[in-house]
Amino acid sequence: MTKPAIPIKAPRVLVVDDGITMRLYYRTVLEAAGFVVEEATNGVEGYEKALAQRFDLLIVDINMPKMDGYSMLRAIRRDAAVQGVPALTISTEAGQADAIKAYESGANYYLVKPVAPETLTDVARLMTGSGV
Amino acid sequence: MTTPLLLRFVSEARDLLQFAASGLLALERNPRDEAAINDVFRSVHTLKGSVGLFDFPAFTKLVHAGEDVLSAVRAGQLPISSEIVDLLLDALDQFGAWLDDIEGRRGLSDGADGLSRDLTAALRALLPDDFGAAATTARSAGELASVDWLPDISEAERLEAFRAATSGSQLLAIEYSPAEDCFFSGEDPVNLFRQVRPLYGLIIEPREPWPAPEAFDPYRCVLRFRALTAAPRAEVEGLFRYVIEQISVVPVGPETLIAVAGEPNGGPVYGDFVADALALLAASDWEGLRRSVSALHELTGRHLFVASALRWLEAVLGAPAPDSGWVGALIDCIAQGSSVPVPPCNSGISTTPATKQPHSVTGPLARLSALARDILDGQRVILEMAAESTTFASRLTAVGCTAANVLRGVVRQSDLEAWGSAVEASLADGTPVAALAELERLLNASTGAPSEVTAADALRPEPTGTQTQEQRQAPARVLKVDQAKVDALMNLIGELVVSKNSLPFLAKRAEEVHGSREMGREIKDVYGVIDRLAQDMQAAIMAVRMLPVSEVLDRFPRLVRDVARKLGKRVELVIEGEETAADKNIIEMLGDPLLHIIRNSLDHGIEMPEEREATGKPPDASVRIKAFQEGDQVVIEVADDGRGIDPERIRAVAVAKGLIDEERASRLTDQEAVNLVFAAGFSTAAKVSDLSGRGVGMDVVVTTVEKAGGSVSLTSVKGQGTSVRLGLPLSMAVTRVMMVEAAGGNLFGIPMDQIAETVRIARGQVRRIKQAETFVLRNAVVPLVRLDRLLGVEPPLWFGDADQEEAVLVVRIGGSLTGLVVDHFREGMDIILKPFDGILSDISGYAGTALLGDGRVLLVLNLKELL
Repeated sequence: MTKPAIPIKAPRVLVVDDGITMRLYYRTVLEAAGFVVEEATNGVEGYEKALAQRFDLLIVDINMPKMDGYSMLRAIRRDAAVQGVPALTISTEAGQADAIKAYESGANYYLVKPVAPETLTDVARLMTGSGV
Repeated sequence: MTTPLLLRFVSEARDLLQFAASGLLALERNPRDEAAINDVFRSVHTLKGSVGLFDFPAFTKLVHAGEDVLSAVRAGQLPISSEIVDLLLDALDQFGAWLDDIEGRRGLSDGADGLSRDLTAALRALLPDDFGAAATTARSAGELASVDWLPDISEAERLEAFRAATSGSQLLAIEYSPAEDCFFSGEDPVNLFRQVRPLYGLIIEPREPWPAPEAFDPYRCVLRFRALTAAPRAEVEGLFRYVIEQISVVPVGPETLIAVAGEPNGGPVYGDFVADALALLAASDWEGLRRSVSALHELTGRHLFVASALRWLEAVLGAPAPDSGWVGALIDCIAQGSSVPVPPCNSGISTTPATKQPHSVTGPLARLSALARDILDGQRVILEMAAESTTFASRLTAVGCTAANVLRGVVRQSDLEAWGSAVEASLADGTPVAALAELERLLNASTGAPSEVTAADALRPEPTGTQTQEQRQAPARVLKVDQAKVDALMNLIGELVVSKNSLPFLAKRAEEVHGSREMGREIKDVYGVIDRLAQDMQAAIMAVRMLPVSEVLDRFPRLVRDVARKLGKRVELVIEGEETAADKNIIEMLGDPLLHIIRNSLDHGIEMPEEREATGKPPDASVRIKAFQEGDQVVIEVADDGRGIDPERIRAVAVAKGLIDEERASRLTDQEAVNLVFAAGFSTAAKVSDLSGRGVGMDVVVTTVEKAGGSVSLTSVKGQGTSVRLGLPLSMAVTRVMMVEAAGGNLFGIPMDQIAETVRIARGQVRRIKQAETFVLRNAVVPLVRLDRLLGVEPPLWFGDADQEEAVLVVRIGGSLTGLVVDHFREGMDIILKPFDGILSDISGYAGTALLGDGRVLLVLNLKELL
């Protein structure tokens, strides 16, 4: 499969998930939609990457080794160096309590696995305000 | 993209399984090993997330059950035991086996659902009873968006619910839409729903209009259950914990139940009552009002509107502390003779707003999708939350950025700027007030009709999108074509093949009738070209449908290995000629018969290694599957070097089962005896083995293969092995028939593969045995049947000399020969067989029709039904 040409100002997405299949899935879907995708395999790595580079959207899994998604988002929101990048959590927990918990820890939106490719692209486009 | 994703999944899942298995073993050694339980839990949890991307419901369900058990273990609700570890390891093994299936065939094996159900049940049985209650804190029911069906509940039941609510219970409206396939997973929606107690006003109705009777599928559940209950939410969610995604609930205030309805009655005859009642209300004299209402109620016909209002008044006044707003509204109802809106409760009784008010769909935001509106609503929720001071600025910026991104290009630039400055203002004063107000303004810019999507909808799991995604992103180079289209093309080409046959006829006419040899020759030349093209086209379209037999053979190595291991036998499988191609339909139909033959061979044919060595054979048995093309047939031979079939035993079993009598059994040749295994109802296995199937014999193999126009033969040498040979047409699309003339000059087609030979016999050679005619064909007595008689036409009476010959078509049906007397033999030809449809489809005895080159219709006989 040929990768689509990357637009000059392609929005950058950081995908943080410990599942290699999930990361490939997000990457494939988002790259097909014109996003540039970076990956991190746990909260610590995600936090470090989010500090080191500029992203337009963070996509964060909740249950991860080392540092879970909630803690990672809390850490990011506490850090003045990363000002207000929109964050989306995607987790298998489907309850409203989980949505509230995600919002409390700093997420801006919440999706439940499995996420259909169209939903993922739609949400990513909306949250980055990009027409890609 | 799916294949790399699937492969990635398989390899990741294998790693996770390995990891989980070693963690489980560590846990068994040291149940307090928290790191181990966390590792195992996380592996299974990650597996659950990944498998959800694909459409393997059996897999997903079992992973889910495993995760629940591990979650209970991790929470300390379930002490780890060897039993639990064993079951979990079983589940892991099962996942491993499914991964093999997925890798090999891109799907789960047939028994997956059953296996999954059994293991899931075993795992769930481990869970402590209160696990569901704990689980509901993690998984809760969705919010019900609309309760506009409340007035559909009968007044009596609404009154009952109202009384429950005003005496302190919180009412919940529940809507339950069971999964369409719920009957197959053993769910009983009605029973489940009725366990909710107390239940008021159960409404059961179809979710969609009932289909026409002929399209009705009784196994599909399309019901929707709606009701009110006074049960606590946690209890409802506990009851529905396994189908929590199928229910939605919302608290309802008692005032939403008040709806006055009834027949109107003319004139303000209740003026006195209204005046009195208003005075009593003003004085809060509930007791006096109660008496007054009850007196009037006695005098009022119960179907009247006023009576309904009075009943509600009685109910409202029956509460410990009647709500004066409701009383006033109901008195207004009586005064005006029509419904007036009932205000929300303003007294001590607690009510919760029915649902979060959905937002505008008419203003500039109408151009926003439901998803966009939901994201914006999420930002509002975030702003409303109390934030720690350390994260306030960052979170507000994120909200500002997210909302601006969603709104970009949808709202006016001025709105975007207003939003930006509101966020700035909030940042400056450290409270979200300004931003919240602006967001509310944007969201409520023009509140109109309620939108159909609420946050709850968006929070519900998305339906799996794997398939749509496959369709969307399939590589463009391979054209996926509906098989029906290929079939249609095939049929057209078939008709072309047939209609070109009229050209030689035309050429002959040109010569004979019009006397133009020149013209005749030119037509023949053209015919030659068209004939070649038509044949090429036919070959090309056949090639489109051709698949290698490896499509079916590929699954056997593993199957043979597993089955042999299970039986303790040692078998080497050799597959030859797997590249041999045949029509898709043939390939698809081959799977089951082959599976059956191979299982039979492994189960009954192959001996145990010791037994083999004792008879001087190598301990490793061999099963050889050989596929090759022979003429216009695909032949598949399955040969083993096992113990072979003992004709004596077959005779004994056949007699014992009453298939034949003893005398006939003793006269059968050995080969005929061996062929008895094909007889319906014959199965030599003393007990039904779980390997060679559910008690079906080789007769099923024969039926399936013959249906596809093929044949089965079996040869066996006792002590040396058995060989089964399947012969199948390369394609089922074109049938070769022989035409015969019968019933007074009419043409009939008989499928060529049923014809053994054609003979001519002198009438004197026809022997009569009682009523039946027979003749002798090479030392065998063959029954003789007159086609005319089969077709319901009395054959012409015969007087005359015994030397006159009869045309006899010898056909082979179900392994035995029959002579069919016809008037004349005609040529053979390729036809496209069209089965009868419509009102003709019930006619038996005919396989269908075909169009002849000269426009006539040929009826093709189904001899199996006729004879």
